[in-house]
Amino acid sequence: MFADTLSKVLPCRSTYLIFSRLKHVQAARYKRSIKGNKPLTYEMAGPPHTIAHIKGWNSWNTCNMLDGLRPAETAIDDEFIRRFIIGTWHDLIASEIIIKRQHNIIRIAAITVQKISVTKMYFLIGYTEELLSYWLQCPIKLELQTVEDRSAVVFKYI
Amino acid sequence: MSVMQKCVMIRRTANAIPINYYQRTWCSTKAAAPTDEFRVLNLKKKFVPPQSKKKYTKTLLLPPRETAMPVDQDWTNVWPGPKTFHPASVPLALRQGYDQKRAPPGKYGNAELMKIPNFLHLTPPAVKKHCSAIKKFCTEWPKGLETDEDFDKHFPMTIITTDYCHSSPTIKDPKARIVTIKVKLSAFDLDKHARDKMIRLVGERYDEETDILTIVTDRCPTRKQNYDYGIYVLTALYHESNTFEEWEKEKQEADMEHYIWDNNVSKKAYVALVEWPKKVSDDDVKSFSIENDLVGQKYKDAVTELLNNGEDTYTLNKYKEAVVGMLLPQNAQA
Repeated sequence: MFADTLSKVLPCRSTYLIFSRLKHVQAARYKRSIKGNKPLTYEMAGPPHTIAHIKGWNSWNTCNMLDGLRPAETAIDDEFIRRFIIGTWHDLIASEIIIKRQHNIIRIAAITVQKISVTKMYFLIGYTEELLSYWLQCPIKLELQTVEDRSAVVFKYI
Repeated sequence: MSVMQKCVMIRRTANAIPINYYQRTWCSTKAAAPTDEFRVLNLKKKFVPPQSKKKYTKTLLLPPRETAMPVDQDWTNVWPGPKTFHPASVPLALRQGYDQKRAPPGKYGNAELMKIPNFLHLTPPAVKKHCSAIKKFCTEWPKGLETDEDFDKHFPMTIITTDYCHSSPTIKDPKARIVTIKVKLSAFDLDKHARDKMIRLVGERYDEETDILTIVTDRCPTRKQNYDYGIYVLTALYHESNTFEEWEKEKQEADMEHYIWDNNVSKKAYVALVEWPKKVSDDDVKSFSIENDLVGQKYKDAVTELLNNGEDTYTLNKYKEAVVGMLLPQNAQA
């Protein structure tokens, strides 16, 4: 609408108008629910342009720096780790999975819900570390924090 | 109902096995397989009581560790190494995040605090402890290497290589092969000709201000090869500079790297002026010495500086003074 009106008002030679502000306005934004009871974590509440301003990255590594090595492989590995953990810790992960790489160590941090017994949790930690370190051929450390309920990580409802 | 009873019931009825029940297998050699009964096809499907949902008993959790921590505890034992932030282990009232209307979110259940790298394992006492632990591996500082001048004297050559640490499984970086060799030209045993030839050969690699020659080698695939190549280049340069080729005798006045007063017409003119009215030959000019001639030395310095450093107020003034002192000595003294 606005673009149509503007092209009539402005005596521009080209009919193409590029609005950078209209680009990607929907990406990674959550739709408001009718009742306004959709829970969002702090990470979900901030749109992408707030990264490094009010929220941090979910993957920490040096691959995307200038002259960094293996950027594509690292991205694929990260996605694989995320999917594996979400599947293995089914219905237990309450936050985003944070993957931090230090030299050859991969530290995986997440917030889980205290829904299963402690024994099972220890088993899952060992299982995840063992399998991932076998696949990725490097030491993996799972550093978890538990919360009693999912509502503990909710930042706001929309 | 015990497990045995369940199994028996299932075997006898031989109907569909409910979820989470496992059929017992008869694999013992001693006990004969039950052959006395045929399996019965249950067409009517008798009612199997639905499995009651397992009740989850919540595990009793201890209160967070931070609440029971003594004030004078040794923090290096609580947080010995790098680790993701854990709110129950850190007795600090931390908050992280941005909220327009409320206070920033607290530390429990806060993923933002887990994202950022922390230095809780690098507190000053921890660093001190670490240093004192590795102190036994330190050796004494070698004697005679107290100042930078000593270093330049004993170790005139500097070799610079870089190791790269990436947060990835590979330890190889193509940039690690580059070797930079820095050496002061004064450290070489070079005469005037060799020094000039060396500077001409290396071109841009020589820095006149610091007298440092820099050779960067990156053409070979490994660091060792690049280092060897750099040393080879340096050796070749040194020996090449020290050789005097036949064609080097053809060096003209225009090829000189800088102005030398003794070879130029300026000296001839000066000698002619001093020896006036005697006619001077080239041999006279060559043998003429200005060692005890202050005016001549001043004139030589002024001309050399003017032609080597370029014309500016200072050199022009100096030249003027020298010329006046030479041509009109009575004016210069007055």
